[in-house]
Order: sequence, then structure tokens, then C-alpha cells
Amino acid sequence: MDIIDKAIKEGRNALSEHESKELLRRYDIPVTREIETADEKEILTAVNKIGYPLVMKACAPDLSHKTERGLVRVDIRNEEEALSAFREMMEEVKDDGATVLVQEMVKGSRELVVGLTRDSQFGPCVMFGLGGIFTEVLKDVSFRVAPIEKRDALEMMQEIKARKILGAIRGMPAADLDRLADILIKIGNIGLEEESIQEIDINPLILSNSQPIAVDALVVLNP
Amino acid sequence: MSETEINNNITALFNPETVAVIGASESPRKLGYHVMKSLTDGGFEGRIVPVNPGSTEIMGIPSSPSIDAFPDPIDLAIVVVPAQVVPKIFEECERKAIKGVVLITAGFKEIDDPSGDQQQMALAKIALKAGIMVLGPNTFGMVNLHKNLNASFTPDFSSAKKGGVSLVSQSGGVSHLLAFMAMRQGVGLSKVVGLGNRLNVDFAEILPYLMEDAETKVMVFYLEGLDDPRRLMTAAKANKGKKPVIAIKTGNSKTGDKASLSHTGSMAGNHKIYEGAFRQAGILHADSIESALDLAQALVICPPPKDNRIAVLTAQAGPGIAACDVCEAMGLEIHPFKPETQAIINKLLPPLAIRTNPVDMGPVWLDPLSINNIIETVMEDSTIDGIILLTTYASANLELLANISDLLIKWNQRKPLITCLASPPGVWDREVADLEKTGAIFNLPTPERTAKAMAGLCSYGVLARERD
Repeated sequence: MDIIDKAIKEGRNALSEHESKELLRRYDIPVTREIETADEKEILTAVNKIGYPLVMKACAPDLSHKTERGLVRVDIRNEEEALSAFREMMEEVKDDGATVLVQEMVKGSRELVVGLTRDSQFGPCVMFGLGGIFTEVLKDVSFRVAPIEKRDALEMMQEIKARKILGAIRGMPAADLDRLADILIKIGNIGLEEESIQEIDINPLILSNSQPIAVDALVVLNP
Repeated sequence: MSETEINNNITALFNPETVAVIGASESPRKLGYHVMKSLTDGGFEGRIVPVNPGSTEIMGIPSSPSIDAFPDPIDLAIVVVPAQVVPKIFEECERKAIKGVVLITAGFKEIDDPSGDQQQMALAKIALKAGIMVLGPNTFGMVNLHKNLNASFTPDFSSAKKGGVSLVSQSGGVSHLLAFMAMRQGVGLSKVVGLGNRLNVDFAEILPYLMEDAETKVMVFYLEGLDDPRRLMTAAKANKGKKPVIAIKTGNSKTGDKASLSHTGSMAGNHKIYEGAFRQAGILHADSIESALDLAQALVICPPPKDNRIAVLTAQAGPGIAACDVCEAMGLEIHPFKPETQAIINKLLPPLAIRTNPVDMGPVWLDPLSINNIIETVMEDSTIDGIILLTTYASANLELLANISDLLIKWNQRKPLITCLASPPGVWDREVADLEKTGAIFNLPTPERTAKAMAGLCSYGVLARERD
């Protein structure tokens, strides 16, 4: 795939968030609407296209600890906030060759994680679990070896301890399990088709009402 | 080798007419002595050929100086000579058209020196060319109890009870441990197999063979790590639900096998992936050696339940609660009885204890008729798929087992029944053993273990139903 080839040619070992999501989008995995720019003059057009409230994030292939460095600004509600967020973040990352993503703000308090890892013995494996900050803390995840079938995907969702968050709880509708299963199956297929991908992390995959959307994504390469 | 050829050769390996011991010895300090003892003490009915260039007779059996010098065909060679001699032995095996080798000799892939790995690869080449199936190297051997064939260096395996459980292990130590536990618990065995360094017989080859083997009802695999686990998955998937395969996987404390940039990578402990892979392939995962053997025995004795609705009948509240806790944690349902069932129980039991599921039969402890009626009513309830029956001995209820024996024997595991009939040593032991002999009960020492075994039965039930 051209995105991967380009990154490898540039000697990178990861795709940027925007590139990662573009790859996922091509596999029909739902991702946030977003516009990437490094040009202050384009910011106003971008925010008008995405609509308020929105999220702005710095974006570069090797940008880690985004939250800790103040490179994720949520709930931006007007042009003034958007412009100052842009300037502050560009100042912080001016040495990283980073851009800024203007991104729709996905509403939903249920955060999941979906991933791919290339195990040295099993090859590509698909992961599903509880996302956001709980991924590291609770490690509530399940794995299958790619390719996976729909029943495997559904079993993975039932295996996590927090499975109840996929149901109708506290006024929120049940998650669209068919759509989630479809995402897991496709992540497995990416692992089988794109051999230079070492890992994929979609975290969080937020449930917006019943629909999952990839809000952040990282693709690690193994050129 | 084609799959059929592999299967045929493995079948021949486990069912030989003539067995040669290469490196047979009269000295108890040599493994060749213990292998000879295993074969002779085990009552092997075929021909035994000790091979040793320095003897004419070993343990009273005429020996041959070499494989080549023996005039008749040989089906299985058990090899205990030093590693450097093994390639020459393999060439002799090829000339003799021997299709099965148990290679006990160690000093190959498992040693630190890389030459061990190279030597093993050289052997693999000869074996492939000659179509020889090899258990080992670095194995204790194998036992086929139904053939009285003990091709191992542990003569004591021969006294295990014959039965339907086949134990296959990557570790000789765990094979011994599993087999000794099985012997103590009266679990009947079919094959005990040490795969050792898996020259060309790995789990992926042994699984299809045991699936076809009439004497094997249940397989227990002990794994530490596989070079190509997808091969086992493919073989298991193709046979999903045909016979139960239980796997114990150790070596879980290692975290991911590489430094990782993503969450997914750092989360992927080898163990989590194995767990997922086992489920995908229809392999039942046991979290300990003990629970693997419990489940294996349960699968031999009990039919798999139709669904996961379980009744817990107990003569004392405490053990019942302990069983219920584990049932629920393992996803079993302590299901309400049908109204008719409940009405009968309510008539039999005074309202002094829990009468819904779980049923505390304590108040009618000394009334055999009521106990029998309660158990029978629950057994017949069509909304109950399996029963856990618990009672501890007390001096006043000594006769309890005698009173329910007829019912349990008549029931004969029509739905799975797992019991925990607990008593001090010397009390109830005979009664329990007699009931076990008829196949009426599967008895375990703790309520938790009964619940865990029931959960395993339910998991297998799902796989078996999907196959039908």
C-alpha cells in the first residue's frame, strides 16, 4: 500500500495518526472525520468543515506522549480557541516536523481497544479489549489468531471482564456487535495482507451511541 | 510423507509386533536395562530383540549384535545409545525398513552447544528420506497400555489402569507426574507419550492419530512452547468436537517476546494468544495439571451436558455454596427448577434451609426416602442439564451412601453427575470405589473441583453439539 511504502522509503518505523487512519479507512474501518494541516491560513476552513465542538491534535509519525505534552486539545468551540491551540501546539512540536489534525469530537464514554500484533510464533493476532487509560491498567483484553471468523470475534467480546459495557447500560444503547466483529475481522485481514505491519493499535475505539469509531490509531512497521 | 503415510507409520509405531532395544543392557545403571525391564515386566506379547554388540543374551532373551544382523523384520526400535552413534543407527533402521523409532537418547536440540541442533537436523533428514516416525530425541519413551507395550525407561507405567485417557507431553517430568497422578486417582490410560525434542512427531502429528485411535477417548496435552503453533491449530480445528482435547500450557510468566511500541504488542503475553488460539481451534484449556486430569476423567465417565443449567444438591450448606461460587465464576447457571420440581422438593423438605437451587438437604439428612426423592426429582427436571451432589460424612449419616447407591447406579450418568462425597480415611472409601467402578459417579475431593470439571464438560458440550 502506498502509505506504507512511502513511510518505509522515508526510513520510518511507524505511520502518523492521520496515515494510520487513512489505512484503516481503506479497509472500511470507521475513523474520525479529520483534516491535516500545518498552515495557519487553512485552520479556519478546516474548523468550519469539521464543525464545533472539535478536537485538535499534533500529528507526526513518532509523536508519543501526546496527552502529557499538551498536544491533544479537546472541546474546542470557536475560532479563537482553534487558532491559539494551533499556535501553541506548533510551537511545542516545531522541531518534530509535525502537523495539526482538526478532528471531529466523538461523543461517547465507552472506550475500547482493537489491535493487531505479529507474534513470532503465531504470526498476526487480533486483540480486543477495554480501551483508553484502562487498557494498560486492567489489561482486560482477549486475542485470536488471524484470520478470524465472526464467531471468534463475538467470543472475543464476550471474554473480556468488562463485556457488559457492550450492552445497553445507563441509557446508552447496546454496541453494534456486527460492526465491531467486522472491524476485528478486517484488522486480522490487514495483518495477513500487509506483511510489513508489525502492530496496529486503535485506542480508543469509541462507541458513539451504538457505533464504533476509531478516534486514535497507530500503525507500527517492521520494514 | 503424506498425511496418510504419517498416520500409518505412527499407528505402526504404537502397535509393533517386534521391538528392538538398541543399547539394551544388563546393568541397572544404564537406561537400556530399564527399557528392557519395562518391556518384559509390562508383559509385551510381541517379540523383544535386545541389540548390543557385546552380548549374546540380555535378561534371558537372545540378543543381536546389530540391527543388520537380525534376520527378521523389526517394527519399532527403542534407541538408548549415545548421541554420536545415533546417525549410524538411523541408517541401519532405514536399511531394515523400520518405520518407528523411540529415540530416548538426549544431547540434541536441547543442549546449549549449537552442534546439538545441527545433529538433530541431520537426523531429521535421514528420517524424512527413510519415512521413519521418531518420538524424541530426549524422551522417556511411550506406553501403549492396551497393547501391554511399555516402550519407556519407567517400568512402573505398566501398572496404570487401562482406559481412555491419552497423555501427550513435551516434558518427560510432567508426563511422569500426570501418569503417577492418574495411577493414584484411578484414571484409566490409553497412551502415555513423551514427544521430547519432536524430531518429526509433534502435537500436530499425534492429534490426528489419536483422533482415529479407538482406545483414546480423551487427550491431555502438556505444552511449553511450539515452533509453529498454527500447525497444531489446523489439526485441532479439522477435528473440532470429535474427541475432547485438553491442553495445559505453561511458561506463561514470560511477557511479550519483543520490546513493543504499541499497547497491543506489549499486552500480547504469549499466554493470552495461546488461550485465544486454543478456543479458536476447539481445544479445552486447563489452568493446571490437576484440573486437566479431573476434566479428562469427567469426560470419560460423564456425557457432556446439553446446556449450562446446573443443579447443586448438598447435604450441608457450606460445600454447596463453595460449588455455586465456582459454577457462577465459570459461567454456569444455577438454574431455578421447574415449578413441579420445586413443589415436590417443598413437600419433602421443611422450610428450614434453602430449598431452591442449590438445595440444602440437611433437614432430611436421616430420611433416605426423602433424599432419594429429591435427587431423583431433580435428575428428571428437563430444565437441569447437570448435577453436582455434595455430602460430607457424619457419624449419624453413615448409611447415606448405601441408601442412595441404587438410585445413582440406576441413573447411570443419563445427565452428568459429579459428586464430592467427603469422608475421613477408611469411611465410605469402599462404597465410593464401588460406585466409581460401576461408572455411576465421578467423585472429586472438593466442591470447587466438581464445579470446575462440570464447567469443562459444558465447554466440550458446546463443541460436540456444533459438530453434530
